[in-house]
Amino acid sequence: MLAYTLKRLAGVVPTLFILLTATFLLVHLAPGSPLDGDRPMPAEIRANLEAKYHLDEPLIQQYGRYLANTAQLDFGASYQYKDTSVNDLIATGFPVSLAVGGFSLLFALVLGIPLGILAAVRQNMPADYGAMGASLAGISVPNFVLGPLMILAFAVYNDWLPAGGLGGWQHYVMPVIALGTMYLAYVTRLMRAATIEVLRAPFIRTARAKGLSETRVFVVHVLPAALLPVISFLGPGAAAILTGSVVVEQIFGIPGLGRFFVTAALNRDYTLVLGITLFYGIIIIAFNLVVDVLYGWLDPRVTYR
Amino acid sequence: MARTGLSIAAGLTLVAVLTGCGGDESGFANRLAPAVAADGTKTLRYGNQTEPGTLDPHQASGVPAANVLRDLYEGLVITGADDKIIPGVAESWTISDDRLTYTFKLRSDARWSNGKPVTAQDFVYSLRRAVAPTTASSYADIHAPIKNATAIINNDKPPETLGVAAPDAHTLVIRLKEPTPFFLQTLTHPSSDPVYRPAVEQWGDSFTQPGHAVTNGAYTMDAWRVNERIRVKRNPYYWDNANTAIDRVEFYPIEDGNSELSRYQAGGLDWAATVPPAATARIKRHIPDQYHAVPTIGIAYLGLNMRHAPFADNRKLRLALSMALDRDVITDKILRGGQPTLYSAVPDTVRGYTPVEYDWQDWPDDKRKARARRLYHEAGYSAEHPLQAEYLYPSGGVGKTLGLVAVAMWREVLGADITPINQEWKVFLQTAREGYDTQIFWGGWIGDYDDPNTFFSIFNSKAALNYTGYDSPAYDTAQERSSHTPTGAKRTALMHKAEATLLHDAPIIPVWVYTYHQLVKPYVTSYQPSALGNYYSKNFDIRPGQDADGGAGGH
Repeated sequence: MLAYTLKRLAGVVPTLFILLTATFLLVHLAPGSPLDGDRPMPAEIRANLEAKYHLDEPLIQQYGRYLANTAQLDFGASYQYKDTSVNDLIATGFPVSLAVGGFSLLFALVLGIPLGILAAVRQNMPADYGAMGASLAGISVPNFVLGPLMILAFAVYNDWLPAGGLGGWQHYVMPVIALGTMYLAYVTRLMRAATIEVLRAPFIRTARAKGLSETRVFVVHVLPAALLPVISFLGPGAAAILTGSVVVEQIFGIPGLGRFFVTAALNRDYTLVLGITLFYGIIIIAFNLVVDVLYGWLDPRVTYR
Repeated sequence: MARTGLSIAAGLTLVAVLTGCGGDESGFANRLAPAVAADGTKTLRYGNQTEPGTLDPHQASGVPAANVLRDLYEGLVITGADDKIIPGVAESWTISDDRLTYTFKLRSDARWSNGKPVTAQDFVYSLRRAVAPTTASSYADIHAPIKNATAIINNDKPPETLGVAAPDAHTLVIRLKEPTPFFLQTLTHPSSDPVYRPAVEQWGDSFTQPGHAVTNGAYTMDAWRVNERIRVKRNPYYWDNANTAIDRVEFYPIEDGNSELSRYQAGGLDWAATVPPAATARIKRHIPDQYHAVPTIGIAYLGLNMRHAPFADNRKLRLALSMALDRDVITDKILRGGQPTLYSAVPDTVRGYTPVEYDWQDWPDDKRKARARRLYHEAGYSAEHPLQAEYLYPSGGVGKTLGLVAVAMWREVLGADITPINQEWKVFLQTAREGYDTQIFWGGWIGDYDDPNTFFSIFNSKAALNYTGYDSPAYDTAQERSSHTPTGAKRTALMHKAEATLLHDAPIIPVWVYTYHQLVKPYVTSYQPSALGNYYSKNFDIRPGQDADGGAGGH
């Protein structure tokens, strides 16, 4: 397992290098420049700016400069937010995204796993229909609908929660629900399907035949097996929840990384786009690695090579 | 069946929460909860659209940055009631007879937020910095009236040659290249603000950050979290601190108009800088006293590319497109935000100037349309041979709304076949700037200073913003001469000549006057509309307990 982990880690650097190179080329090939604004500049001023940002150099030279800085973990200055560095923006934005994303994931798991089990155990009974109906609604209602609806209900028409911004725990309630609902629905459905399948498996029948108590059968035998699909969903799910929080961050005015990512792309903020892409790349690779290792730990049939 | 039923039940529950529960049914019950702390500290919470890219006054651009900078820094002159120029750091000034030398007397009690005096040397340093190529300010050219500024921008002369001098600590002398009637107006722009040299030299690009920033306005930096809020606090050394009521101002970057509105409704904002057009009717019904539509010095227009066919050398066609637009329908039925229609290049919101307008603006619709059709035919187009062209607009803005309406009007009135094309904002800017592919394109411009020249100069053949490629020696001469002629009948005549020439040649189709929409809570007192959008937080107060009629309607 150690050898496997090391082998996977060795693949990280080339992966990131390819990611970085492709992104660098793409952002620089995209039409439009970070220097284009509502107020166009006289040619001389534009030339001064291009010189300041080294945009007047050949692309290969800019690439070399960028690579050298990145190797020292310096993502450079942001074109858009001139007073801060990309490193600072990531350092302030990521904890916020992590908090909202983490709580959303927790919300999805803590509610979704029991709901899925309940639906499986009470298959084709009202509890099952209720859970599945709700999860269908959860998957169908996008967060850009759910978010504003909740704001209207709980902040505007009733004075229960703040309408947006950062502050105490109250500020996290609606964003977490808006972001987590879809994942809650996925987890519920995955858990239900997996539990139903495992309950019918021969080894459960054997366990019951051995005379184990129903609780023991469930906790020791059913649960670990039924959790596998949820675990494998967790890797991409966690990555998606972190990178996909853009809309929720926009609606609730939360200064997370997702919002930076989108505005950076729209503003052609080359350094910020590259910095966040690389950062996300590292996160996604790390999540997938953790999940793969966790998977084998839960399922004895999986071997690492 | 059962599943659907349950989903519907869940949906109905949400709707019930939305509409019932004894809550506030209109959503507009005044949450009169101003941010006044137990110790009396007053905080103004301001919806500020987008996050300023920088708070370096010499590099900043855009309205949101200017809103913050007005509180942080004070220039030689500022604007007061009715947007008149009033003393800022300069308590008085004299202008030489040849109108080339401005001598400012600085107030002796002006202080930086660290207690150090604001001196004439600070302004010399700052103005040099504003034009220096190393600063690479996109607004450097606003200082072009100052002697040698253009040569410095072009790297032909060192910044030290700029026509600014400080004979003593409280006297600043600025020498101009040519007489410039709007020079004082350019000094109200943030790029004329002073910056604190030791802070700039010590911290470089991050001199604007809390803890680093030293400012000379009524406020100074307290906290800044990008995309969350900028908080400024009282500058204890500000010369007029005794008359400043608001202790702190928080600027929230909320791009989405609907999010901003709900935060305003929920009581999280005292001031919203935009109003979603779809909500305007509801707002006017429920909180008319909090809603302010203020036409500003900005124009929305459609540009016609004069470099290529079909618009090159076809004045009649350009005019036909302009006359075919029913601007009243566009402003009253589509925009519905109190925008005045525009039939000139300069909006009448600019002080001290009466624009030349198209005489057909008052014609009956039938007559105007008939003339448009006649011009269209004379231009060589007909039902059998309709005009085919593209209208280019940036995605996700009012350019789309306008475009779709204009395209329909052109089809209905002229039978022209115009295809709307959208491009993402930065791509649009590049396409428009290069001017190879554009035919009809969206254009908007908010003036940099309160003078007609901020509009006339953009259509000069040498101007960077002249995306139409309009190149008229007669226009250029009139515009350039008017920019150096002292205020008076002669200058007005030159400006009228420039505007009449432009309207005659019709490189643009003026459509409406940009209008700011604000929501201001009634407990924010002393609100006065500003066409320039120049609101200084130091002029406001928060008076809890003010009822709806108390503050906002005011003066």
